[in-house]
Amino acid sequence: MPFHVIKRDSCPLSKKILYYVIAIVIALLIGAAILAAIGVNPLSYYFNMATMGMVGNRIAYKAFENYLKVFVPLVLTSVALSFAFKMRFWNIGGEGQFIMGSLAAAFVAFKFGPVLPQPLTLLLMCVGAVVVAGVYGCFVAALKVKFGTNETLLTLMLNYIALYIIIYFANTAGDWNIFLNPNSARTTFGSFAEYASWPGIPIGRFTLNICVIFTIIICIIAHIYLKRTKHGYEIAVVGDSPNSARYAGMNVGKIIVRTVFLSAALIGLAAAFKVGTAGILSTAITGNVGWTGVIVAWLAKLSTGGIFIVSALISILNYGSTVAASTFGAVDANFANMLQGMILFAVLVADFFCRFRLVRTEKAVPAAAAVKADAPEAAEIPAAPAEAEIPADAAEAAAQAGEEVSNEQ
Amino acid sequence: MKKRILALLLSCAMVVGLAACGGGSSDNGGGAADNGSAPAPAAEDAESAGEAGSTDLADLTVGAIYINGKNDTAGYTYQHSNGIITAMRNLGMDVDSQLYVVDYVEEDYDAVCQAIDTLVGEGCDIIFGISFGYLDAFNDKAAEYPDVIFSHGTGYLCNDTNFNNYFGRAYQARYLAGIVAGLKSLEEGNNNIGYVAAFGTEYAETASGINGFAMGVRAVNPDATIYVKELGAWGDEPNEYAFAEELINSYNCCVISQHCDSAQAMIAAADAGVYGCGYNSDMTEDAPTAVLTSAVWHWDVYYQTAIEAAAACGGDASQFVTQMGGPAYYAGLAEGFVGYAPLNEAIAPANAQAYLDAVSDLIISGEWDVFSGTALSFEEAEDGTVTVVQTPADLVDNEGNVIVEAGGPSVEDSVITGTMDWFVEGVQDVAG
Amino acid sequence: MSQEYAVEMHGISKAFGNKIANSQVELTLKRGEILSLLGENGSGKTTLVNMLAGIYAPDAGTILIDGKEVEIRSPEDAKRLGVGMVHQHSKLVEAFDAADNITIGTEKGALFLKKDRYKEIQEIADRFGFRIDLRKKVHNMSVSEKQTLEIMKVLYYGAKIIILDEPTAVLTVQEIAKLFDVLRRMREEGHSIIIITHKLNEVMEISDRVAILRKGEYITTVNTAETNEQELTEWMVGSKIDLNIAHPVSEKTEPLLEIRDLTVLSDEGNAAIDGLNFYIRGGEILGVAGIAGCGQRELCEAIAGLRPVQSGAIVHKGENIVGKTPKQILEKGIAMSFIPEDRLGMGLVPSMSIAENMILKTYKDTPGLFVDMKKGTQEAEEVIEKLGVVTQGTFEPVRRLSGGNVQKVLLGREIKGEPNVIVTAYPVRGLDINSSYQIYDILNQQKMKGVGILFVGEDLDIMLELCDKIMVLCHSKVMGVVNANHTTKEELGLMMTGSLDLTEKDASKPYGIARDTQIDEATLEAVEAAKDVREAEAALAEAEEQVAAAREAAEAAREAAKAAAEAARSAENAKGGE
Repeated sequence: MPFHVIKRDSCPLSKKILYYVIAIVIALLIGAAILAAIGVNPLSYYFNMATMGMVGNRIAYKAFENYLKVFVPLVLTSVALSFAFKMRFWNIGGEGQFIMGSLAAAFVAFKFGPVLPQPLTLLLMCVGAVVVAGVYGCFVAALKVKFGTNETLLTLMLNYIALYIIIYFANTAGDWNIFLNPNSARTTFGSFAEYASWPGIPIGRFTLNICVIFTIIICIIAHIYLKRTKHGYEIAVVGDSPNSARYAGMNVGKIIVRTVFLSAALIGLAAAFKVGTAGILSTAITGNVGWTGVIVAWLAKLSTGGIFIVSALISILNYGSTVAASTFGAVDANFANMLQGMILFAVLVADFFCRFRLVRTEKAVPAAAAVKADAPEAAEIPAAPAEAEIPADAAEAAAQAGEEVSNEQ
Repeated sequence: MKKRILALLLSCAMVVGLAACGGGSSDNGGGAADNGSAPAPAAEDAESAGEAGSTDLADLTVGAIYINGKNDTAGYTYQHSNGIITAMRNLGMDVDSQLYVVDYVEEDYDAVCQAIDTLVGEGCDIIFGISFGYLDAFNDKAAEYPDVIFSHGTGYLCNDTNFNNYFGRAYQARYLAGIVAGLKSLEEGNNNIGYVAAFGTEYAETASGINGFAMGVRAVNPDATIYVKELGAWGDEPNEYAFAEELINSYNCCVISQHCDSAQAMIAAADAGVYGCGYNSDMTEDAPTAVLTSAVWHWDVYYQTAIEAAAACGGDASQFVTQMGGPAYYAGLAEGFVGYAPLNEAIAPANAQAYLDAVSDLIISGEWDVFSGTALSFEEAEDGTVTVVQTPADLVDNEGNVIVEAGGPSVEDSVITGTMDWFVEGVQDVAG
Repeated sequence: MSQEYAVEMHGISKAFGNKIANSQVELTLKRGEILSLLGENGSGKTTLVNMLAGIYAPDAGTILIDGKEVEIRSPEDAKRLGVGMVHQHSKLVEAFDAADNITIGTEKGALFLKKDRYKEIQEIADRFGFRIDLRKKVHNMSVSEKQTLEIMKVLYYGAKIIILDEPTAVLTVQEIAKLFDVLRRMREEGHSIIIITHKLNEVMEISDRVAILRKGEYITTVNTAETNEQELTEWMVGSKIDLNIAHPVSEKTEPLLEIRDLTVLSDEGNAAIDGLNFYIRGGEILGVAGIAGCGQRELCEAIAGLRPVQSGAIVHKGENIVGKTPKQILEKGIAMSFIPEDRLGMGLVPSMSIAENMILKTYKDTPGLFVDMKKGTQEAEEVIEKLGVVTQGTFEPVRRLSGGNVQKVLLGREIKGEPNVIVTAYPVRGLDINSSYQIYDILNQQKMKGVGILFVGEDLDIMLELCDKIMVLCHSKVMGVVNANHTTKEELGLMMTGSLDLTEKDASKPYGIARDTQIDEATLEAVEAAKDVREAEAALAEAEEQVAAAREAAEAAREAAKAAAEAARSAENAKGGE
């Protein structure tokens, strides 16, 4: 039975929620079937996952602290990425920018930590991380503005360069390498926790890391920045229609470089928060936030509030999966990741159905022709950037697109 | 971008299929093992341990943090996982309800701390960590949770109360394997012996293994050279095979030993028609035509000791180090922590067992150890009896530096303390 | 039974998403007739013929060709059934010559091109009266030549049913006449032709019958001889409409915008505008006519400060604005509403609301960090009310608006800034007739307020009615400025193709220069100097070329002389040896 994909004009909220719920339920059911097959009680597994093992946990407050440690870098990175994405600048270099920020923050901590008062060290760590990560990111923006290079490729490649830089520091012994632990025979990163560590606010046994408060404030500022300020307005215009931006007298190049700097700098700040909390570097310092952040920003449709919520949920999924996996012998971390991937995939499918719908092709229309008929929509999908929706007004325009597609075939 | 995410998710979807198969099969394995568990002697052990204000083993919860998957079927993580499960079963404990594992934990401080918190939250009384990079996190968390026991495989940090280190004198087993390899080389009339190592002098763990093996070889064949090729990784199956192949083809090696995760080097030896000495576990099954013996670990020996000690603490975690007799558990042949797999009778050198028995006795009795200023040589009588001759001699590295003066005592191989960053004479490092 | 029809389409429906493109459409095409398919933009004409050409499959309905029901699954099927389509945009291989473009895809399995292909194709060309150089590469061809080639390609495939999608949109009057001759010739040869257009005069001229679509629905089919333009319009639009564009007479003021010796480069680095002179007075609409790509776009961008000027002056009220930023130019009251092909590309931000779009040019003027959305909303309300924009409210993203409303928002904003010069390009492209007329009204109102308007258009009939003067561009050069009341489409057509140049007509009056110019001496001198330099450089280049040629000639002569001497000597020797 041939179907074709059709773009929705709009999708009411209730319907959207319904789709998400259905999708997640399906994913959970499939997961439950697999869990049952390997002898794990799906209900207790899911319960463990959703509560992140906090129920009946003698140090539940600790679990929540750890949850926040996962959440803070993710939400900051996602918000940062949304800056660039709003401008249709595909910064997928979050990983690299995070690593460079971490290195800068750790450098400051090792270099100045022993001599400066702790608050000043922490501040300098942030400044260092922000500047280094920001420059690492806006270098690509400058190349794009100047020479029209492809930012997706460049940011991607810079991720690996950053990764190998930190691996180099991790593996290379030497007096100059201040990142290493001098007491260890093998090369391992040293700890600077005694010089610089983000303070916490004790609430009972729970300690609220001050970075969480900073993060909430930054998210609010980011929201206002994007929604209300002239800069935010410029970002939206440049993202949607660079020609209009130029016409309105905006310096598009400057706006791109500035915004990408902010985006990368914010990722650097996330890195400073993370490093300053851990007190030590690691080659796995990013926790993949540079990648996960892309998914978060996309699912949240680049809205700052949405990113906050999606990050919170994905962090639960992420952290909860690890916790749940530790409880059941048959479930290892890979399996937990797979379940996590399935749920994410289901959410993306639901997201697809919020944007498009499937329609049965009527009558005796041959299959080959049906495929052709789908062509204009199919052509639209890859072109559709995160937020933008294609003006669905003109059938003629669609006809044109279809014509071109069929011509290419 | 959308394509990228889709690709990512699709690959996740593919993993669904694979993981489903993997999960299913490992479950079967677990089930089968389950049926054979709860043996009678274990119950006795549990009883004996249950005296004198100690915790009942049935109330003890064990946690572990692995670098790879807990459902692995080979490799480093598997060795430990298998050791803990065997130990718990021997002690009559229920693995399903008493063991909590966080696996695939990278050597990232935060990630390890998080894993520890999770395990502490699950109520674990003793937590094992198996990878060197977990050390700092274990050290800090041991201070944070004084009521939990922390036990870390390899490393140099520990305290006097609830945090110890453990590792084995694998070099002793290596020495024995080296004797077998040396005897084989004499039989073959070929003095070249190959060694595929994960790393070289940068890790004391690999260096001591190489040195122990080389000294064993040269005790019976003083003219032998041990060619070492380094992988730069603990596991790299294609290169494990390729490096072994190169040692055989380019260096004309007649016996291959190894220090890496899989049995690929042994398989390469079998394919080339030469011999091998395995490591970690008995690799005879992997390459029956090549493997003479293997230097093996019995991790369950340590884990059983540690769990019993934890139970003996009776809820006071700070007693653990005292119960273990010190902060660094460093056992060898004497304790049965390491050993050699039964000789492959079909291909083992004649009378090898007699040599092994003689040296084992020396080591187990504590009369002699490998890295000392006393060299061993052997006299084989007509009837096959082997006499060990001890001769004072400098222990010299392959650059001519004297490490131990003649007659001096054995130095530690430095996996836990200090640093062994040299190769003994007779070892030749071949650029990888 | 129905053998009189080459094509019958019954009950054809097709939807794209929620948008119904065709609903229960009927279409019949007799053998050997020219059928006009008439309808406004978005009425579903292209969709309908695309289903005949195998590009789409209908959601419902049947198609009969020569009385037999067929399923057209692909353009290949259509080709086999003798259906050929000439698309709006050329689909030729630029690097190939004409003949190869025709033969590619036909010589199945053959590795080498047949040598006789030129002859074979020439025969077809002669039969239908095409004048085309078969060895000319496509990238050297004009739009009209490319179109001819497309038609020949379809004929070469043996198509008996030929569909032409808006073939006249890109052609000049003269080229249209030539095209129609060819179509008539094809009809005589027994071909059946569907021609899509929305120009009524062409419908009346060429077709035997007219089929009319409105908003995806089939209205009727009539014999051309039994109808008239007014009736067709009413069917097309659905209501009575006054086809006359108002042309109010205004008070003309001093020149507001004067362009002197302007040279602008295209993206490729060639001269897109070459030494252009013209001026616009307050209270007049100056039309700019020319075939596509003759420099209109670059001219507009140069005026708005979006494209660097190579040389020359753009003088606004006596002040040279060359080198000023777009922002500074905007502040002088030069508004631009440039509607490129995608309609929303320049001037508006599609995803933003009407209110947000209102402040696009003024958001920086309010003090502080924040954007003043109140002002935007207020302005949006005013524009919506004043120009009758159909929308759900000021918060609605402009991409959700229909084309006419988008254009109103854009013009409304420009007018709000009370500009004294409006530059507008293709403001009615893609709009229905009603909306178009509303746009003309807005422009006329501005003209009456004393604003000078530069109107880049494509429909000569409209320009003749709306504009006061029309400037014609051809290949980056101006061909003349004519009074709209005293010219004809034919004259404009000749000028557009460069056949007629009126700039030298009156030697006493330098072209495109206002008597009461506002340009100051210094600027004039600078422009003159730059012009002199340019001319001198050109002369120098020419001279150098001549010198080179002369040198070559001399060299050749020397060679010849040497050869002659050689010959003479050998002859001498031969003689001596004798």
